[in-house]
Amino acid sequence: MEYVYAVVILIGLYIVLAASFNLIIGYGGLISIAHPIFYAIGAYASAILSRDYGFPIPLAMLAGTLIALVASIMVALPSLRVSGDYLLIASIGFQLGLIEVFKNASWTGGAGGFTNIPAALSASVPREVYVAIVVVVAALAALLVRAIAHGPYGRAMAAMRDDEVAFSALGRNAVAMKVGTFALGSALAGFAGAFYAHYFRFVAPEQFDILQSSVVLTMVVVGGIRSTWGPVVGAVLLQALPQAITFLNLPPAVLGPLQGLLFTGLVLVFMFVRPQGLVSAGEVWSATRKGSEHARS
Amino acid sequence: MLSFDIVAQILWTSFATSSYFVLFALAFALVLKVNRAFNFAQAAMMTVAFYAAYTCVALWGLPGWVGFAAALAASIILAIVIEVFGFRTLRRRRADQIFVFIFTLIVSEVVAFLAMLVFGTWPSTIFPSLFWPVTLVGNVAVSQWDIPAVGVAVSSVVVLFGFLRFTRTGQFMVAVADNPDLAELYGIAKQRIYLATMLTAAVLVALGMFLYGTRAQVQPTTAIDLMLFAIAATIIGGIGNLWGAALTAVVLGVVQNSSVLFIPSEWQGFLLYLFLFVAIVFLPNGVKLPARRRLTRKTVAPDLVGAGSQES
Repeated sequence: MEYVYAVVILIGLYIVLAASFNLIIGYGGLISIAHPIFYAIGAYASAILSRDYGFPIPLAMLAGTLIALVASIMVALPSLRVSGDYLLIASIGFQLGLIEVFKNASWTGGAGGFTNIPAALSASVPREVYVAIVVVVAALAALLVRAIAHGPYGRAMAAMRDDEVAFSALGRNAVAMKVGTFALGSALAGFAGAFYAHYFRFVAPEQFDILQSSVVLTMVVVGGIRSTWGPVVGAVLLQALPQAITFLNLPPAVLGPLQGLLFTGLVLVFMFVRPQGLVSAGEVWSATRKGSEHARS
Repeated sequence: MLSFDIVAQILWTSFATSSYFVLFALAFALVLKVNRAFNFAQAAMMTVAFYAAYTCVALWGLPGWVGFAAALAASIILAIVIEVFGFRTLRRRRADQIFVFIFTLIVSEVVAFLAMLVFGTWPSTIFPSLFWPVTLVGNVAVSQWDIPAVGVAVSSVVVLFGFLRFTRTGQFMVAVADNPDLAELYGIAKQRIYLATMLTAAVLVALGMFLYGTRAQVQPTTAIDLMLFAIAATIIGGIGNLWGAALTAVVLGVVQNSSVLFIPSEWQGFLLYLFLFVAIVFLPNGVKLPARRRLTRKTVAPDLVGAGSQES
């Protein structure tokens, strides 16, 4: 049962990651694949503050989220002032550079990872409580992204994505909007990272490398970019499928690459055969019945 | 204690080993300049080139030149597949740049995972030994690998320059890089030029990866790490500036290898990412060199306005 809880919690956390990544690349139109590093920053920051500095866990998790937010602004602001392409390169460099730091610094546990992270809930609290909390957080994250995308901010993001020149000509600050979108998505990822650290109680640098980037990317692309429930479907499917493969009892040397091929192969197939993903993005601002009745009268 | 000999040795070895970085940077910069694509799939081309050579030489015992031919063929075939079935399709669909990048990243990862399945994750080399006979020049050890490697890199740069400057295809590449639509109006087949660019990059990649595989160990994910070097060199050298990218690759290679004199070796990898980040923040347009003075005859433009008024 512990295994099932772990899978459900992982699915919940990946829903948060996929939904927040969809906000960045889908709705924001920003080119970045370094989402896992903000997940890592939230995890490591919360873990270090709670274990080594005695922060209460909720405060440590909030601090981890804020540190991820600040880090994302540090990455996005200088690169987006130049052009969107530079955000991609800066984010890859930031991700790989920070992983090198995590691998070599003693205060992060080094390549062996950071252990003995305090648990979010005491041992007497049933695991089902943590599962319920993560499921609620995942649902709220998906709904938050939906609310943003369907509201005034989302309309502005769509305008910026479709024609940045016209957007700027109307007096709107495209760079500020891009940085804001990137920061919000990264903060959500940091929040998920903090949850991960305090449930699994162990974080290691290789958990947040380029492979993780392709996992989250797959969930968004296969699930359906720029749709609310696409990343949710993608996260559920692409967390459940590898678990199914583990029951084949293949040796680890074959299992890892096979899982990787499954993820990447799915992305390639969907990109060319069904680019809109499993859940295609519908019309975001379809006229409401009231609105259309008013128009007809 | 740092002596002149130690510094000279490190500088020479760094310079020699930057030869393959020059080739990787040139390949990436060329595709970015002409095809306007961040070709992360170059990592896939690098991986197949290495493992083709490794299979022929290390596994089947064939001579080194056969291994190189196999590396070249594998790299070219994959370049054709990527261009014809990938980039061309995405161009036809007017895909967003994010999709083009995702495609190139995923291709490099697919090839890496395939290589892991087939060859495992153990570090491999093309030849059984990484050690080459050494000759002392002064007090600097020059291995039998160094001179040919530097020669290959320099020759490649010269040949590429000549190709772009003096051949029809090369001139078309420059035209397409400047303005693809205008080049098409002049009758240049854009798609063929994009393919030719990818093939040129494939040749550079095969050369570079054969050199790398005879000097260092390679795992399936090594090429993805090496790509960051090519990207950093391209940005710092100035996007669109092939020779800037090549020169920057040499400088970065020397600086990164020489850094072992000043920082612990485990932090050498981190330096590259630091350079990349600094380049994005402070040098987004690359290092600007002073404009070259062109030696042209000065001519005086005729005073057309004055002549017209006199006639009237």
